[in-house]
Amino acid sequence: MSVLLSGQLLAAALVLAALYALVAMGLNLVYGTMRLLNIAHGELVMLGGYITYWSFTSLGISPLLSMLVAPAVGAGLGVLIYIVLFRRLLRSPKLAARVEANSLLIFFGVSVIFQNVMALFFTSTQRGYVYLDQVIQIGNVAMTANRLILFGVATSACLSCLAFFKYSRAGSAVRAVIQQRDAAALVGVDIDRLNILVFALGFALAALAGVLVSMVQEITPFVGFPFTISAFVIITLGGLGNLFGSLLGALLLAAVEVYGTAVISSSFRSILVYGVFIAVLLIKPQGLLGRAVAAK
Amino acid sequence: MMRPALSEHLPFVGALAAALVASAALIVWGDEYAVSIGLTLLMWVALVQSWAAFSGLSGYISLGHAVFYGVGAYVMVVGWQILPVWLGVILAGLVAGAIALLLGWPSLRVRGPYFVILTFGLAEFVKYIVVSIEAALGRSGRLLIGTPSLRELFGAMLLLAVASTIILYVLRRSRLGSGLLAVREDEIAAEAIGINTARTKLLVFGLSAIIPGMVGALMSLRFTYFEPMQSFSPVTSFTIVTIAVLGGSDDVPGPLLGAAFLVALSELLWARAPELYMIILGVLLVSFVLFAPEGIYGKLRSWNRGEAQ
Repeated sequence: MSVLLSGQLLAAALVLAALYALVAMGLNLVYGTMRLLNIAHGELVMLGGYITYWSFTSLGISPLLSMLVAPAVGAGLGVLIYIVLFRRLLRSPKLAARVEANSLLIFFGVSVIFQNVMALFFTSTQRGYVYLDQVIQIGNVAMTANRLILFGVATSACLSCLAFFKYSRAGSAVRAVIQQRDAAALVGVDIDRLNILVFALGFALAALAGVLVSMVQEITPFVGFPFTISAFVIITLGGLGNLFGSLLGALLLAAVEVYGTAVISSSFRSILVYGVFIAVLLIKPQGLLGRAVAAK
Repeated sequence: MMRPALSEHLPFVGALAAALVASAALIVWGDEYAVSIGLTLLMWVALVQSWAAFSGLSGYISLGHAVFYGVGAYVMVVGWQILPVWLGVILAGLVAGAIALLLGWPSLRVRGPYFVILTFGLAEFVKYIVVSIEAALGRSGRLLIGTPSLRELFGAMLLLAVASTIILYVLRRSRLGSGLLAVREDEIAAEAIGINTARTKLLVFGLSAIIPGMVGALMSLRFTYFEPMQSFSPVTSFTIVTIAVLGGSDDVPGPLLGAAFLVALSELLWARAPELYMIILGVLLVSFVLFAPEGIYGKLRSWNRGEAQ
């Protein structure tokens, strides 16, 4: 029992939760505003990781600087993907009628393309580097400096996002679209411009998460998929489109993962993650915080 | 509803007969390589036709059909040398069907994106349970020795491919199939005109799992090896959906065309340039969803109609 009360485990859960929250935020934005199921989301995490890895090992650029570069690249890619693929999907009434299924298939294609382009050019070898790995002691909790940075950056990025949505004009527009798409368009929100903003922001957040991931673990072209799954579990827990809910979802999933594997065994991690996921979908498909919505 | 004239079924019966003749010729004259490609093609045909019987008609996209394939393979290897081989195959189908009823009963209540994600999650969940069971038993992979020959397996797979094709053809034109199509178009309205949507969905979902279970059993005999991460791999589910999108999943010819196309592409590229193969697959998937959502078959049909006008 004493293991469970240790600060070490709590710290591990909080760090993981912060990372998860960051990954899930971007996914939730894209789903919430456009009903697009982005299963290529983890690939942006992977890409952010590779940008950081190559900048650091080849050019000597600090990962801290990559925290600016990678999100910029991610945002650019997001805008490109929106304009080339999804503008068309959302405008065609026939395609938009099954927007979720169609977006899932398109993003699956995008995900496969990203993974294999990276595997083709950079091979599937695990890549890692050492950066700020000295141990810092806080009270009786020991943590490497890069994990501390991860926690700080991810938490502040999530909180700034929430503040942006609460207080800025564009942020309010995003929330309006999440709640009532047609009504938001009626009161003068430029949906197309907003979609571009959301794609840019969502992809930038994923790329930022990738920078942080590469600081604490090795990456491969296929490192993104588990993050996509975790992010989907989290936004389902919190309610699809509910930004605050996904913070809670991230905490819950990270706690289940960290404490669950500590109590049982790490080989049960996947069973736990999927178990929680299935249980929530079956018992409360609209999410823990969600209200029941009338079926379409 | 007017009963269609018998002659309306002629093209279908003719195509089926032609496919049977071609397969028979392949068994008799084909070399090992040709038969093994034929087996792969028939495998995808059987899997995708079964998938289309449920997902194509109902619009409930299952991203978890790998679980039925995996369960079938697992039943086969667990029963290996306990049960007669072909009985094992049949049992594999029945267990997969039973699992589908078990999984479908709760999961068919959610729809849209939730159903897609849930089927994927359930398949992964079952995969990791099997992985844990095998780990607890201290087994890492099981070998099967003395499995039926390639040609026997080809024959059995042919039976499954034909059966799944006939099932989809008949179902599409039956009361039950019309019920499913109604669910796809508007579930509430379907309910309102007296279709028991819950029972219809569950029944067909269970049905669409039996053949994939048997396919899984046959493929474990083909590979003479079982490893849960491979047999339950989500790639199987994704490939099924990709084939259905490429070919068009609305009627029998679509999945056939999609499977033939994918197997040809994979033969050309998979061994030499696997990454390139996957990239092309990704590009095709994206382009088809955006520019030809009705698939190859749908495109061919609309061209035909265009010419006739």
